[in-house]
Formats: sequence, structure tokens, C-alpha cells
Amino acid sequence: MRGPHRCPGPGAISLGLNRSLVSLDNKLNQFDAAVTVQRAVRQALTRIGKGLRPELVLADRFEMTGPTAWTVRLRDGARYSDGTPVTVKDVSTALMMYAGVNGSFIVGLFPEMPTVEPVDERTFRLHTKRPVPILDQLMANILISPAARNRPEELSGGVGSGPYVVTSANSGTGEYTLDVNPRYWGRRPTVDRVRVRFVPEESSRVVAVRSGELDVIDTITPDSAEQLKGLPGVRLDRTSGTRVNQLFFNFRKPRGHPLADARVREALSYAIDGEALVRDVLTGSAQQAEGVIPLALKGSVRTGRYVHDPGQARKRLAALGASDLKVKIIWESGEFPADTSVMEAVLEMLRAVGVRASLQQFEPGGDIQQWRQGRRGDWDVLGNGFSVPTGHASTSLQGMYGGTAEKEKTRDTYQGYVFPKIAARLADASAETDEKTRNTKLAAVQQQIWDTRPCLWAFVPDVVLARRTRVRDVRLLQLNSYDLAAVRLEG
Amino acid sequence: MTRYLIRRLGQSVLTVFLTLSTVFVLVRMAPGDPAAALAGPNPSSADLARIREQFGLDRGLLSQYGLFLRDLFTGDLGTSYSFHAPALDVVLDRVPYTITLSLSAITLTALVAVPLGVWMARRADTKRELGANVLTIAGQSMPDFWIGVMLLTLFAVAVPVLPASGFTTWGGLVLPTVTVAILQMALISRLVRREMVAALAAPYVTVARSRGVSNRVLTWRYAMGNSAIPVLTALGTRFAAMLNGVVVVEVVFGWPGVGSLVVRALETRDYPLIQATVLVTAALAVLVQLLIDLAYPLLDPRVRLGKAA
Repeated sequence: MRGPHRCPGPGAISLGLNRSLVSLDNKLNQFDAAVTVQRAVRQALTRIGKGLRPELVLADRFEMTGPTAWTVRLRDGARYSDGTPVTVKDVSTALMMYAGVNGSFIVGLFPEMPTVEPVDERTFRLHTKRPVPILDQLMANILISPAARNRPEELSGGVGSGPYVVTSANSGTGEYTLDVNPRYWGRRPTVDRVRVRFVPEESSRVVAVRSGELDVIDTITPDSAEQLKGLPGVRLDRTSGTRVNQLFFNFRKPRGHPLADARVREALSYAIDGEALVRDVLTGSAQQAEGVIPLALKGSVRTGRYVHDPGQARKRLAALGASDLKVKIIWESGEFPADTSVMEAVLEMLRAVGVRASLQQFEPGGDIQQWRQGRRGDWDVLGNGFSVPTGHASTSLQGMYGGTAEKEKTRDTYQGYVFPKIAARLADASAETDEKTRNTKLAAVQQQIWDTRPCLWAFVPDVVLARRTRVRDVRLLQLNSYDLAAVRLEG
Repeated sequence: MTRYLIRRLGQSVLTVFLTLSTVFVLVRMAPGDPAAALAGPNPSSADLARIREQFGLDRGLLSQYGLFLRDLFTGDLGTSYSFHAPALDVVLDRVPYTITLSLSAITLTALVAVPLGVWMARRADTKRELGANVLTIAGQSMPDFWIGVMLLTLFAVAVPVLPASGFTTWGGLVLPTVTVAILQMALISRLVRREMVAALAAPYVTVARSRGVSNRVLTWRYAMGNSAIPVLTALGTRFAAMLNGVVVVEVVFGWPGVGSLVVRALETRDYPLIQATVLVTAALAVLVQLLIDLAYPLLDPRVRLGKAA
């Protein structure tokens, strides 16, 4: 039985987001589920599609035509919802506005922002000083708006080139209604109307999808997935993710400290029963990491496995004179699903090999940033997560392992991880224009990173989405996003 | 009366101002960094410094307070860090939802709790009253999130007749209203019972009864009239408290009111939004209190506001 008042109605789909969609622009407000909606209104030159491959959207050509130059051609007929065409100037303005906005982490993904050189009305070149061989993937994150209306802030207006237009918006409550864009340059979506709601409480989202009030909810925790599994009328979609969750060591330990020794870090990792954590705590919704970044990312390789062998942990720690080690583990609440349970289990596992651990949890918006930078006190292991919306290994590797002494001066390295040789090899590999050579170089450097034993343990959570069975063709991508225009409704 | 009103308005403005100033200092003393909360994952020191500078967070507390006061008197409460919009506008967008829920809950409370309290008073110390007492104590003891989740499970999942969250239809108002009202009903009905028992035992009621006045008139006109002020005060206070955000209920039911906004503002250390929320809710609360005070002489002619004050 389903109350008629709650059904979104034929031709309409209702999405429940876990975070408020403050804006349909993404200069500042970037989270996975938001991108699904934002891209339905505003588009980029490319997008990260199936298999994390770049696909063309507003561009019909995007190719590297020199080590530091890409030639791009705008799709013929690509236009905005107000009827005006997408122009080269719109692209150069969008790049400037993304670069000009404060607090954007999109810009941080770019080794450098490209400059635009117009060639003709539809064609232009993107130039960089050094080679940026994944520029086509990076540009998937720059949504294009009409130049005259673009500002270095989030845009509240809804003019875009996407398959939908905004017909009602309340950024305060996070509720939006999108209708099909009658001037859309591409194939008309089959769903006429999309209702977007902000439902912060996970249990409420679960109840709403069970009762048919919401059609799709995303970013499901293992607990909720368990509740929804097998329910009539509800289906779970699952895919391997591109986010890695880590128990990352503090690399700011002074020389002579046990944790400054990679062998001690490795010995400690033998204490962690990752299989049990995945099976019992994360209820099978994750995989143990087998590398320093998720294997789903393009250019990633297997470098090793986390092995549970408490006897080995004890033996090695004793041999290294680190038997009476004390370890302080810190993390921000909600950093990953079941975070507290994972940490409590880890504490017990360490205790079982004679290591005394203590836990310190921070509330969101608290001081975790200062702790990460080592400005609030000492700690040994940080529960952390790292995801990149480019889908490529090099972005992830450089973000985590590309620390330099210069960056460390301002504490901008990833937990103090500074290995100059690794940073140099990463920079070299990331700038390599030949894909095969680049992948070979990246593989070698990933092995080198693994050998430094940066993590006590790491895992890659699945991306999980729940939907009513009337919603079809939700092709959930590994970036925890999907193409709204491709979704179909039955009933 | 006019002097009383002017004085009360002055007191109200001072109350709101002091509340706002206290909150201004307290949120800045609390741990956390709005720049870090805003900057997304793995920001650089330069990013953080830029954000702090942009929002004036790099200045000293006194300097920030001075700027805050200057802007306050021009009606500018700053731009919300997380909504990138004027903080006051963001809060005012949410206020109608909270007022709707609060009005609806307080009306349901009054409609149920007052007759229930009277019924209990008239049957004081009987077994039936004991049963009702147990129910009200239970109602008062249950946490609101538990009541909410139970109602959701019953009426949105098991028998799906009502929406689970949000305010997309009027049906969406039912479950949060009932959740809020259950707690208030328990409180108010026990208060009404206590006041009515005392009033029904008063000499003037005994005299009236001896003159042959009916029980109904005795209860609703004589006793209720005398109990009205404390009951109205309690209802008003509860209503004012609801306007400050029925936080848990709003979160459980995805209600787009001030309560859920406060949670978000606190999580993101959104100072302007916290301050705007405090300003609006404190102003509403003192306004409600003022209206209750003004209603006193209507209920009890012995009260003369100008003189009494």
C-alpha cells in the first residue's frame, strides 16, 4: 500500500540528498550527490564516465596536440537554457572564476590552471606551462556558465546547458524542482521532473525510500544498506569506489621515534585484522586496500596486502625494541561509515599485541585540521579519507604523497609525508605525456610509497545507492554520481 | 499602559542584544575553525588564511565584535559561510516552517492537555486518574527522538499513510506536530490538574457550590478562570521554546525549520548564521512573552499592567 500523497507522480522522480544542495553551481559546494544534480543543470566540457574514462559533453573534440597544449572544439549546437550558445569566452571565464573563488578545492586538483587561446568561434587551445596529461579529466570538474553572468562565487541563477532547468529553488531548505530543458541540445531526458530534497537524517531517508516518498537516496551506510537489502520495491546499486579511507601514520615523528621506522609501522599493521573489520564492522561494504590508492582509479596498481598476523606483530615489535609502544589515534566523527566501531576494534587489536592505544574523536567543524597540521599536539595515527573527482591515480597520489619540504614549512603536506625522491618521481610521472610510460612510472612509484608503509590499515568503501524499483537505468558511477538524463521511470 | 509597553520593549531589546553578544563571544571561544569547515578536504594553509581574511576571522575578538555591532545597526548580520547568502535571509526563510510547526503543536497541546488536566482534577485520587497520571508521566519521560522514530515506523512504514519527512504536503505536518505535542501535553495536563485541584478546593468554589452552581460552571468558569494565568504562561513558555527550534524533531522529520538550521550552522561553525538564528529566535521568544504579559489583564481584571509593573 502506498499513500497517493507521497508518490512523486508519473514522470517525476524524487531524490533525497544527505547534504543540503546550497547551489546548482559547484565552485565551492562540491559533494558527490550534489554533482549529479548540478550536472543536470550545468555541464562541463567533459565528464568522468563508466570505467572512469573521460567522455565528451560540451566539447566534441578534446585532444592533446602538444606536450603542454590541448585542442578543444565546442560541440556544434551546444547552447544554454536561455537559447544563447556556449562560447569559448565562457570557458576562459569559467576557469578564471573557479580560480578566483576562495576555498575551492577544485582548483587544488589542478597542478596549474590552463590558459585559453581562442582559435576560431568554436575551437580553442588549453595551454599549461608543464604537461598536464589528464587535463581532459580535470576539466570535467569545471562547469561552464555564460561568461556575462559568471562570478567568482556560487551562482544562484540556474542558466545552464544541461538537460534540466530550475523551476523552483530554495537554497535555504535545499529543495529544488527541475523540469526538462525544452532547449536542450542533446537527447531529451525521459523523466520530466526531478524533485530534490535535503533529508539530513539517514534513518529518515531510509524510511522515506521504503515508503515510496523518495525514489533515490545515495551515500548509504552499511547499516542502512542492511536494512534495505531484500525489501520489496527497493533495490540497492553498488560499485567499487574511488575513495580510500586510511589509518594514516603521523610522519612528523622525530628521528629515533619508533614510528619513524617503516619496519615498526609495518609490524603494527600485522596487528590489524582487516578481514574481520570488513566482514563484521563494515558488513561487507568495503574492500581492504591492496595499494596506496583505490584500484578503481586509472593508473593504480596492486602493491601489497594488509596481512593479519598478531604473532608476527609481537615478534617484530619486540625485535625492533618497540614492544611497549603507546599509540594515539585521532579522527573526525563521521569521516567514514562506522568510524567509531572501526576505531574501537582497532584499539582492541593493538591491545592484543601489547600496544596500548588511546582514541580521540573530534566533532565535525572542530579542530581536526589543526591536529592534522600538528599544531594542537602529538598523535600517532589519523583516521582519514581521500577522494578525487578526476578518477585518475596521479591526482590522488600527488595529493597524498607529493609532499615537499617547502610545503611542510606551512604544514601543507599530508600528515607530514615528505619523501623528496617520491615527490620528484611523482611529479615526473604525472607530467609524462605518453600514457604507457606514465603508467609504468606511476606503478613504480606506488610500490615505493607502499614500502614506506604509510598506513596502519586502509580500505576502499563501496559506493552504494538505494532506489525504488520504478526507477531504472541509474548507472551509478564509481565517483558516486550518475547521469540524471539517462534515468527512466516505470509507473 | 503605554509606559509599561515602552519599558517592556526596551527590556526586550536589551535581552536580545545581551543574548546575541553572549553568543557572539561563546561561539568564538568554542573549539573549531570555520575556515577549516569551509575549505573542503585537505586545504592548504594559504587557502585557510585566505578564507579567514575574507570573512574577517583573522582579526581580534574585539575588532570582530566592533564590526559586528556596526553591521548589526544597519541590519546586516553578515553572509552565511555555508549558504553564501545573507544570514538573516537564510534564517527568515526557515522561520515560517518553525512557526507553523510550533503553532500546530501548541494548539494540539492545548486542545488535548487542558481538558485532560481538568478531567484528572475532577477525578483526583481515583484509580482512573491514576491511570491517566501514569500515561502523562510516560509521555513526559519518552525522548522526542524515540517518539518520532516510533511514529515514523508506524505511520510512514508499517501503515504508510503519512509522509516521513519534509513539508511537501500538509500531511507532512502531522507526525512532527504529534511528536512535539506528546511531550508538551504531558507537562501541561499535569500543570492544569494541579492548578484545578487547588482552585476547586478554594473557599469561593465551595461557597458557589453551596449556592447550587453547577459543576460545569464551577469547573470551566470559576476554577479555570483562576488557573488560566499559570496555564497560559506555561503554554506561552513552551511555545517560545519551540520557536527556538525543536531541534531533534526537525532533524528526525527533515523539517526545514530553524532547529535543523541551527544544527547545520553549529556543525560548520557558521558564525553569522548562528548569530542570525539567535537574533531571530530570541526576538520571537521575547515577543511571545510580551504578548502573554499583555493578555494577563484580559484573564484577570485584578492585574493592571501599568501599576503592577
